[in-house]
Amino acid sequence: MSDVVVIGLGPAGLSAALKLVESGRSVLLAAKGEGGFQLSQGTVDVLGYSPGRVANPLAAIGELPAGHPYASIGAEKVRDAVAWLRDTLGEELLVGDPAQNYVLPTAVGAMRPTALAQPSMVAAHQAASYAVVGVRQLKDFPAELLAGNLGCRAAWIDLPARREVDSSGHMFARAIEDPAYAKRFAAAVAAAAPDGAVLLLPAILGVKPGTWRRVADQVGRPIAEVPMQPPSVPGIRLHDALLAKFKAAGGRVIIGSRVVGCKTNGGRVASVTLAVAGGTRDLRATDFVFAPGGFASGAITVDSRGKISEPLFGLPLTQTDANTLIGPDYWAPHPLFEVGVETDAAGRAKYENLYLAGDIIAGAERWREKSGEGIAVATAVRAAESIMGGRA
Amino acid sequence: MKSLEADVVVIGGGSTGVGVVRDAAMRGYRAVLLERADLGQGTTARFHGLLHSGGRYVVSDPQSATECAEENAILKRIQADAVEDTGGFFVVTPGDDPGFADKFLAGAAATGVPAREIAVAEALRREPLLNPGILRAIEVEDGSVDGWQLVWGAARSAQAYGATVLTYHKVVGIERERDRVSAVLARDVKGGEDVRINCGFVLNCAGPWAGQVAALAGLHDVNVVAGRGIMVAMNHRLVNTVINRCVYPTDGDILVPVHTVSIIGTTDVKEDDPDVLAIPRVEVQEMLDAGEKLIPSFRDARALHAWSGARPLIKDDRVAATDTRHMSRGMAVLDHAARDGLNGMLTIGGGKLTTYRLMAEHIVDAMCEQMGDTERKCRTADEPVPGSENRKLYQVTHRLEEAEEDRFTDPIICECELLRRSVLVKAMKEQPDATLDDIRRQTRLGMGPCQGGFCSTRAAGIAVAEKVVDAERATGLLRLFLKNRWIGLWPILAGDQVRQTALDHWIIQGTYDVEHLPQPEKEVVL
Amino acid sequence: MSARSEQSKQLRERLNNELKRVSLDHCVKCTLCEQYCPVYPVTEMFTGPKFVGPQAERYRDGDSVDHSVDYCSSCGTCTVVCPQGVKVAEINSLARAVMKVENGMPIRDRLITETTLMGKMMTPVAPIANAVLGNSLARVVMEKVVGVDKKAPMPTARSKTLHGWLRSRPKPTNKPTRGPVVFFHGCAGGYFEVDAAMKSIEVLEHIGFQVLVPKQGCCGLAHQSNGLFDRATDQVRALVAQLRSAGTDLTIVSSAGSCGGMLRHEAHEILGLDDPELLDVGTRTRDISEFLMELYDAGDLPTDFKRIDLRVPYHQPCQVRSQGIGMPAADLLRLIPGIEVVESGSICCGIAGTYGLKKEKYEIAQAVGKGLFDMVEATNQGVVACDTETCRWQIEKSTGVRTVHPVVLVHQAYGLS
Repeated sequence: MSDVVVIGLGPAGLSAALKLVESGRSVLLAAKGEGGFQLSQGTVDVLGYSPGRVANPLAAIGELPAGHPYASIGAEKVRDAVAWLRDTLGEELLVGDPAQNYVLPTAVGAMRPTALAQPSMVAAHQAASYAVVGVRQLKDFPAELLAGNLGCRAAWIDLPARREVDSSGHMFARAIEDPAYAKRFAAAVAAAAPDGAVLLLPAILGVKPGTWRRVADQVGRPIAEVPMQPPSVPGIRLHDALLAKFKAAGGRVIIGSRVVGCKTNGGRVASVTLAVAGGTRDLRATDFVFAPGGFASGAITVDSRGKISEPLFGLPLTQTDANTLIGPDYWAPHPLFEVGVETDAAGRAKYENLYLAGDIIAGAERWREKSGEGIAVATAVRAAESIMGGRA
Repeated sequence: MKSLEADVVVIGGGSTGVGVVRDAAMRGYRAVLLERADLGQGTTARFHGLLHSGGRYVVSDPQSATECAEENAILKRIQADAVEDTGGFFVVTPGDDPGFADKFLAGAAATGVPAREIAVAEALRREPLLNPGILRAIEVEDGSVDGWQLVWGAARSAQAYGATVLTYHKVVGIERERDRVSAVLARDVKGGEDVRINCGFVLNCAGPWAGQVAALAGLHDVNVVAGRGIMVAMNHRLVNTVINRCVYPTDGDILVPVHTVSIIGTTDVKEDDPDVLAIPRVEVQEMLDAGEKLIPSFRDARALHAWSGARPLIKDDRVAATDTRHMSRGMAVLDHAARDGLNGMLTIGGGKLTTYRLMAEHIVDAMCEQMGDTERKCRTADEPVPGSENRKLYQVTHRLEEAEEDRFTDPIICECELLRRSVLVKAMKEQPDATLDDIRRQTRLGMGPCQGGFCSTRAAGIAVAEKVVDAERATGLLRLFLKNRWIGLWPILAGDQVRQTALDHWIIQGTYDVEHLPQPEKEVVL
Repeated sequence: MSARSEQSKQLRERLNNELKRVSLDHCVKCTLCEQYCPVYPVTEMFTGPKFVGPQAERYRDGDSVDHSVDYCSSCGTCTVVCPQGVKVAEINSLARAVMKVENGMPIRDRLITETTLMGKMMTPVAPIANAVLGNSLARVVMEKVVGVDKKAPMPTARSKTLHGWLRSRPKPTNKPTRGPVVFFHGCAGGYFEVDAAMKSIEVLEHIGFQVLVPKQGCCGLAHQSNGLFDRATDQVRALVAQLRSAGTDLTIVSSAGSCGGMLRHEAHEILGLDDPELLDVGTRTRDISEFLMELYDAGDLPTDFKRIDLRVPYHQPCQVRSQGIGMPAADLLRLIPGIEVVESGSICCGIAGTYGLKKEKYEIAQAVGKGLFDMVEATNQGVVACDTETCRWQIEKSTGVRTVHPVVLVHQAYGLS
């Protein structure tokens, strides 16, 4: 039996698990697979748009509607949670101030606000001018499109990560861990790069935090990594670091097994049922943190008739009929994706000892307003602190 | 204003139009085809993907059945690259009248449609997802066909014979000199010149829009009823054989494997405006129910995309105006000389894709007769179109095989549909004005499970890298592509496709923030 | 359709292909499987699990046209990490089996999968067998003729089998206080590497169990991963019957890390077997570390361990990870005072059962395992722990460091050695 079972290992699950294990509790983290940070841009959004671009996310939190996940947490606690994540991971991984958004170019050339970024990225904030260098063998970095939208110049290098002409960013990042390859890469970039105050490169500068500095030094001018679609190397760095910290602090992990049910006792969850090879196991704990994701992970489902459900605990959702929540305008808000579970002030739903964190919580279309990681860590810390505070 | 000379102008770039322009060009006429959008964007490419064996009509429309059987064999010969020889089953599902199968077999024999009853166990062995309760199964020679490859194959053949094919040219006027057609005026909707084509003959093959086109010649009583039907593509080939219900034709009674998806369809509802075709939720549910009859686990499978197409049916007096299914499926040729005193114009309506070549043969024969050119004979059945010369039928494994061979030299841009960069770039360079949807129709970009989530930004990037467009237009094309994909997604969003959409939004909006790219002054729409 | 593709289609049908195939619908192309696949980053010959699995499966219709799937090592990591429930590894295994039916099965794959046979044949003349296997010239010949790489780790035959030891040892004197369990030792535990099996039995008896060891054959895992589905099916069914013969209500404790996975889920998921007897055995099987940790979590495990001051690298085999039980061996070793467990952080040692024995896969296998070997060399203090025998041979051969089943250290900590 553990003190806490955490379900899910995205930003919310990992944050809650780490906070709890560092407080001295025994924590078992169970996840049906990998996921979360590895699919994201690798920064920490607090609030980017509301709907106009936000400069100070904490100030903007006060204006959010009552049903928003931040509303019952408040700007101060959001700030503390985000700062905790930054300080836990350290400045080799996350820098920035939750009260002040960076504005960083995306790989297609939009200027995108985010609160905490990786040190390898922040030179791109408010640069006087840019230049872009892409890699022929990396199809996920459209250098000319990016340069065109920024109004700067682009160049290419021809340097496969290995024999093939088509490598993912992750493959390149692994190659760059080899100092010999990194040197060739940096030399090629330096030779090809057009003039510009900050040189934008695809986010492939090593899988380990800190490797990018060696590349930057060898290129010999300011560079900034630009995140791309999955496999997201910056996201992988954050995920790996958080998971390693959790395990180093004594946390236990089961990956690849789904929680398929639970056993309850009065108004409490007594155990969750894990499907392992050939059978099931009951994982008992005093408290449970449910951070399974939202629609993307399938924690919230929509059946072929449009019925929305949370099938594991049967938690009540803010809406149950998808048919009226999705419409023809691609660019408009999609109310469907704001559907989720509402919690009490401690972060609980349905059971006294079941705490929710992350995308499962109702009230925000995260990708639209750029708030995913912030909501994840703020609700995760709330859950952890509620448990640590010994709420009955 | 540009000026062209032609013997015949063909209006409408669907299967009828391209079939006609090919036939006319092969018979030596100087021919121009005008299509207001991309080829096949009307009815043809919105259809089911079915190359009929004729089985569907052996009881309800015997003449059609025989024609389908004959043309099925011909198209497998001349447009092999667009046709997959999937074979088909007609199955009696629980609740259907098992006696109908006997009528079916008798009708097949009478109409010359190859058909053979097989044991239910064999049908289930070959198609393990089929309803285990089926009572009888009959094997036929259905195939599946890629509508775009079909029309482009015919169009390229026409071009090889000297025809001019003008897409994105909307007809705005048909002129006459006294009682004879004299010219057609068209507008280049992508912003180029207008064009006047002096001609002696006009063939109105505009499908559901044929009435609107006829009106441009002053003919206001050509009534074409648009019978709208929806289709739903499921994410993978639930079956590798066309599955039909063995009943009198009804809604949702066919499931067709086409490329990497399987398509259930269709419905039949009269619509007033062929440019406004809804995909009503109730019809989507009907299609899922219909699929369940054939495959019990259908609702657990992943609905990928839906669309609507309008059958063009010449209104006739034998059935009520709103019941479109039982209108004659035969072609109708309206001779405006006899009907309206206007020489040199024919309007064709009705018909089906499988018999498009035959339809074209009839109309060009009619034109030849009017022009006194009866010695010019149709040869379209004799010669394969460009791309089909080796007579190799389409196989669904082919892209996988090619990707396996080329993977060290040719990056894969749309991974779901195994679209290699060289193929994408070739399509972009051949049509530098194309939208990403025009490219999609040629290459299947964005038509797989991720619906463009992973590949649309890559494609936009390549368009700029290859200097086909600048960054501003590429940005507009990207936005248009995403917007257009949504049309077929939101009506069927459920299950796995909701998860996919969420991930796609995380990427497109979350990571890339496409919504906040620099906005072009004018939104790109074409 | 050709006769061969009809045969492969039948194979797909018989193996409940459609069920695995249908799971491809859950793929959202997220690339997580590619991020964790151990083979994909070390060779361009493999296009990655997403490509050969759910992506290519939409194109497969009977005929096998893509051969890069052969480079999949069947480690199962892709299915473990997929958050959407795509049975990636199972789809790949099936595609490979179909490919082999259509392209023919190399003799080598049939030979190296006959591990029980090999063990039985080798044992009475074990020192000679070892000499041959250790003889470089003989290995060169084997590589040329049969395709087994001359450098590949091969099992060492023992003079005594496990059952020989059971027969000849003095009967245990303590009366069992907890009742019987059935013991599953796997081929290696029976013939090649009986040490882990012997020590497992002694540990179980020490804490009060009566250990029943029925005569038992091969689980068929090696055959299955080489696409020999019929032979694998016969073997696993025979093994199931043997294990059930000792009692149908008893827990089955396994010291054969990967083979336990065959019983618990792979025979069902990959061979498509639905036999109630198999499912019954699968439900009752526990890896020995898992079994001991369950006792610990219930407060029922004696923890009067002697101190062992040792830093031990621990590597969890892929097919133990894919059982989805966490890392009980590491948790168990951490209960021993003085032991510092350092998890390898590597996905795969490279051997993947018989994959790394093959000539054309050997270099790839060594590249896959390199990170692990470097880690072992950097952290070991003379011993490495790993639950599966083929992985132990791979690690020991590649690093020179003695590699043992975790239960060996538990045995020592209980004062039994």
